[in-house]
Amino acid sequence: MLLFRKLRVTCKDTTPLISELMDHNLPLGKRIRLKFHLAMCQVCGFYQKQLQVIQALARKLGKEEASTQQQAVLSGPAKAKLKESLNQSS
Amino acid sequence: MPEPLNSDLWVDQYGDMLYRYTLVRVKNPDAAEEIVQVTLLAALQSKGSFQGRSTEKSWLFGILKHKILDHFRELKTQRTYELTPEDGSDPLENAYHSDGHWRNAPKNWDTDPHKAVENKQLVAALALCLDRLSDKFRNIFVLKEIEGLASDEICKEMDIKPTNLWVILHRARNQLRECLETHHWNVKK
Repeated sequence: MLLFRKLRVTCKDTTPLISELMDHNLPLGKRIRLKFHLAMCQVCGFYQKQLQVIQALARKLGKEEASTQQQAVLSGPAKAKLKESLNQSS
Repeated sequence: MPEPLNSDLWVDQYGDMLYRYTLVRVKNPDAAEEIVQVTLLAALQSKGSFQGRSTEKSWLFGILKHKILDHFRELKTQRTYELTPEDGSDPLENAYHSDGHWRNAPKNWDTDPHKAVENKQLVAALALCLDRLSDKFRNIFVLKEIEGLASDEICKEMDIKPTNLWVILHRARNQLRECLETHHWNVKK
């Protein structure tokens, strides 16, 4: 079938598209090739999910409540320095 | 009449919050401290333009985000955004057979994104992996995935070509993926 011949999409073709999709909407041709391949390839589906996990974890890190940064505080001297520079400015 | 800003209290009320927010994004504690200082000074100077449309806190954070962006831009003038050896290679560069199939197929991590974020170890592992990226990669990735800027915004603010941005993000993601696989899931290469 001519359609399938034109749509020969390998895993190597697909992984860049998976990443690109996270950056912007894909043009129609790329969108079709991506959907087509993902429908047949479980492994590339794993890869896509992994990138989505990474994205979700990154967003979590960025939220105030992220526990990794809860210990980080400005030191006493740092705060004093900040107050001083604000006072000098006003 | 907008509520008056109380700049005397800014350091005590918001200092740590501003610092933590910045530290996640710029990694370097000294730089983070400096950015907080620059932010509060700028806020003080533009006190008159605060119209009370937002809260004091979100107004300060708005200024902070701009200062973080300024910081990334400053770093950029010291270096080009072309790829250098320091950025590392694409871990998936040789991951395929000549017919395009995977050599070592990605395993199933068996984790959904919304479950993953509840796993503190995993979040911490990503933080570590983020720190292993080159500064250039880390900054761009942070702008995209943590600050949530659109791709064309990043290109405009950082003066990068879209194709360059795409390569950086693609490679950074693959590096993070490999790092997580190695350090969290202990997948031997």
